[in-house]
Amino acid sequence: MIPVLTLPLRHLRRRPARTVLTALGVAAAIFLFVSVESLGLGLQRALSSGDAARTLVVYRENRYCPQTSFLPERYAGRVAEIDGVESVLPVKVHLSDCRASLDVVAFQGAPVDTLLRTRPIELVAGDLDRFRREPDAALVGRAFANRRGLAPGDRFRFGEITVDVAGIFASDDPVDEGLLLTHLEFLQRAAGVDRLGTVTQLEVKLADAGDGRRVAEEIDRMFATAEAPTSTRPRLEFLEGATAELAELLRFARAFGRICVLVVVVLIANTVLLSVQERGREFGVHLTLGYRGAHLVAMVTVETLLLTLAGAAVGVAAAVVVVSTSHAALAVEGVSVGFALSAGEVARAVGIAVVAAVAAAAVPALRAARTDVHRLFRGA
Amino acid sequence: MSFITLDRVTKRYVKGDHELTPLKDVTVGIDEGAFFVLLGPSGSGKTTLLNLVAGIDRPDEGTVTVAGHDLGALSARALSSWRAEHVGYVFQQHHLVPVLTAYENVELPLHLFPLDRRERHERVALALDLVGLADRASHHPRELSGGQEQRVAIARAIVADPPILVADEPTGDLDHEAAAATLDLLARLNRERGKTICMVTHDRSAASVGTRVLELRKGALRETGDVEVSP
Repeated sequence: MIPVLTLPLRHLRRRPARTVLTALGVAAAIFLFVSVESLGLGLQRALSSGDAARTLVVYRENRYCPQTSFLPERYAGRVAEIDGVESVLPVKVHLSDCRASLDVVAFQGAPVDTLLRTRPIELVAGDLDRFRREPDAALVGRAFANRRGLAPGDRFRFGEITVDVAGIFASDDPVDEGLLLTHLEFLQRAAGVDRLGTVTQLEVKLADAGDGRRVAEEIDRMFATAEAPTSTRPRLEFLEGATAELAELLRFARAFGRICVLVVVVLIANTVLLSVQERGREFGVHLTLGYRGAHLVAMVTVETLLLTLAGAAVGVAAAVVVVSTSHAALAVEGVSVGFALSAGEVARAVGIAVVAAVAAAAVPALRAARTDVHRLFRGA
Repeated sequence: MSFITLDRVTKRYVKGDHELTPLKDVTVGIDEGAFFVLLGPSGSGKTTLLNLVAGIDRPDEGTVTVAGHDLGALSARALSSWRAEHVGYVFQQHHLVPVLTAYENVELPLHLFPLDRRERHERVALALDLVGLADRASHHPRELSGGQEQRVAIARAIVADPPILVADEPTGDLDHEAAAATLDLLARLNRERGKTICMVTHDRSAASVGTRVLELRKGALRETGDVEVSP
C-alpha cells in the first residue's frame, strides 16, 4: 500500500502558512456558498409552507406595500358567505420596513380565537390564556424571539407599539415564525389614526384547494365597485410575488458563489502546483524507486483533497454556527425568509469541495506524473 | 551472456538547439556480482548509461538486457515494477524526502510490495543496521550529516533486496572521510551481499573499489589502464 496519506499530510504541515492561507480561502468560499444556499433553502421552505395551496390572500387593489392596504373589516363576513370558503381571518399588518431588510419587525393583529384556530402554531413557552385575556399581549414567533432574545414576560416596544410577550410559538409555516401576533383591535388602535374597522388583508381558507381560482374571482367581483376594490391571489402566488426580489438577489448570489468556487479551484491549483514544482526531484526519486505515475497522481490528488476538505470543514462549521446562532432572516413586504440548513445542503457543499479539489489537482498531478526522470538526473 | 548487456546502444537527446549523442554504438557486458565502475568527465554520458541500465531511460538504438529482461520490450508499467524489484538507485545528492524520517525514507520502496507492517519493519531495521544508522531511524534528513544522509539513501536502495545497485557519483558531495566510508559500504555490499554494482564517478581514486573499470569518452567505452581494480 503506497503512503497516500502520510506523505501528503507531511507536505501540508511542511509549509504551514501556505496551507493555512489556502485552507482559509477555501473556507471563505464554502462559507459563502453554504450561506447563500441556506437562504435558498429558507426561501424554498417559505414557498412550500403549510396550507399555501388552499389559502387565498385578499389585498386592496393596487397596493404596493401592506402598509397601504386598507380593507373594511366587514368584508370578512361577506367573503365567508361565498360557497367553498371554510374560514376568513382579517389581519392587520404593521411593518418596520416594507423593503428587503435583515431585521424587520412584523406585527399581525387578528381576532384571537380565529387566529388560534386557523394558524398552524404551537405554543412552546408562555401562557395562551394570558394572550387571550390581555389586549396588549402578543405571541412571538420563535425565530423572531431568538433573534431579539425575547421570552415570556418581556415587554417589546417598537415605535408607538408596546406589547407584553405572553408566549413564544413554533409554526409549521416558517414565515409565521418571524411574526408578532397581537389582538386586531389593539393593532388597529396602535398602528395609526382612524383606522379602526380596517384591516390589511383577509386570509381565506378554502374547503377545497381546487376552488381557488373561482373563489378569488368571485371575491374581486364582489368588491369591484366597492369603496375598496380587492385583489385576491392564492397564497403561494402572493409569496412568490412578495419574494420575487429576494429570488432575484438569490440568483445573483448563487452566480457569485459559483465564481467564488471557480476562484478557489484556481487558488488551490496554484498552491498545489507550487508545491509540486518544489518537489520535482522528490517525484523523480519516487519514479526511480518503481512508483508509477498513477501513484504520484493519487498522492497529489489526496494532498489537494486534504487541503480542500480542511478548508471546507472550517467553512461549513462557520456557516452552521452563524446560521444557527444568528437566527437571521431576510424579510420583504412582511414575508420573512429565514436562513435554513439541512444535511443535504452541507453534503452538497462538501461534494462541491471534493469536485473542486479533484479539478484543482488535475494539472499538478499530471505534472508530477510526467516528471522527466532522466532529464532530472542527467548531468554526469 | 552477461548479467547486464548493452548491445550497440546509441542514445541521443536535444539540448537547446543541439542534438547530443552521449552514447554511440556502445556495447558492454557486466557480469553478475561485479563492481562495475564507469569513469569519465562531466557531461560524458555516464549518467545516461546508468539510467539505461536502471531502466529509467530507453535507448534510441540497440538493446539493454538485464537479468534476461530486454528493458526496451517492457511497457512503462512493467518497467516500473521491474525497477522496484531489480534496481536500487543511489544518487550523488541523497535525494531523501525531507518530511520523512530516515526510517520512513528507507521504507518508501517497500510500499510497492505486498508486505505487512512487521515485515517492512524487519527489512528497514536490517537495512539501517547494515549502513550503521540503526540509532538514527527517527531522525529527519536535516538532522543528519551529509555522509549519514548518503548512507540512509544506500539503505533505501538496498531495502527491497534488489540484485543491482546503481550509484551515480555517490561520493561527489561528501568529504574525504564520508566518501571513503560510503565506498567501503558499497564494496561490502558487493562482496558480502553479492550485489552487482554499477557506479559512475569522475574521481579516479574512487574507482579503485571496482572489480572492473571502464572509461567513457566521446560516447565510446574503453578499458582504463591506470586504475588498479580490486581482486
